[in-house]
Amino acid sequence: MSEETDAQNVSESLHKVRQVEFEAALEAALNCASPNDVMKLIPYSGFIGAQASVVDGRARYWLDARVSNIGNPSLPAIHGGVIGGFLELSVLVELLFCLETSAFPKVIDFSLDYLRPARYQTLYAHCQILRQGKQVVNAAATAWQDDIKTPVATARGHFLIH
Amino acid sequence: MAFNVKTALLKPALKLAMERSGHGRQLGIDITHVSGGHVRLAYSYDPQAVGNPLTGVIHGGVILSLLDICCGCAAMTAMQELSIAPTIDLRLDYMQPAKPEKPVLASGNVYRTTSSVIFCRGSAWQDDEDDPIAHCVATFMRLSAPQMSIGSVIRTGIQGLFPAGKDRG
Repeated sequence: MSEETDAQNVSESLHKVRQVEFEAALEAALNCASPNDVMKLIPYSGFIGAQASVVDGRARYWLDARVSNIGNPSLPAIHGGVIGGFLELSVLVELLFCLETSAFPKVIDFSLDYLRPARYQTLYAHCQILRQGKQVVNAAATAWQDDIKTPVATARGHFLIH
Repeated sequence: MAFNVKTALLKPALKLAMERSGHGRQLGIDITHVSGGHVRLAYSYDPQAVGNPLTGVIHGGVILSLLDICCGCAAMTAMQELSIAPTIDLRLDYMQPAKPEKPVLASGNVYRTTSSVIFCRGSAWQDDEDDPIAHCVATFMRLSAPQMSIGSVIRTGIQGLFPAGKDRG
């Protein structure tokens, strides 16, 4: 019994340490107004190679062309799952960046429309928070390559923020 | 059921095309079951794909990729002539967070095929199939363009096994 409680205490204190470290890193990133620093806190961003910057006062996210992100090698086109993951990550960073909440947003649902094949080149995205309630946020994201007027994919999702 | 070359080649063809190239290779998926309109795969936990650094839970994008692959492959196997099926839309509901350090299993099923669209359902779970972590519905285009054939995907997949240049990923 004591071993179990010890293990639980260790895992709880580890979680607290992580929480404190994460909040400090998030605050530092927000103080620098750097969405890329927020992005770097999430390991998945490195897995797909997503980055962020501020363009015209608004966060812009991008995904460099990488062999490991290809879904259909015969075109080649970027994997639909990667586009979805990238948009979900972008919305998550946008929420951490724009909302004053220390709770890590949890995704409830995410809906994607694929409009064109995403060619093997840089993919850009921006996000929009459509409604912020007490518990749930509704947000949308658009991904494009050459021209913002010809989007590759759009997404919409709900996130829990309490 | 009579022996059919197409169904016999389906699993190795999809395994080669999906597991050995591009994002399937990056994820490290294992396609465990392929039959007409039904595909299952397994994914082992990877700390690089974590979405919540506080809890170590993998990012939703990984689940999304797994289900897109599962449903996409299921859609490909539901067609008369084997070809690529691009995703039109996909909706994903997250029922509960995935437990860290544990593998994720996923399955994709075709429930309706029309002349131009294929409708799929998919789910992902860890311990119990009846207690899923996520559920999705997705629709796919039915294409039969020659450049989209599974043969060309396999050829490119084989080329990908022996890359001439340095892998940028």
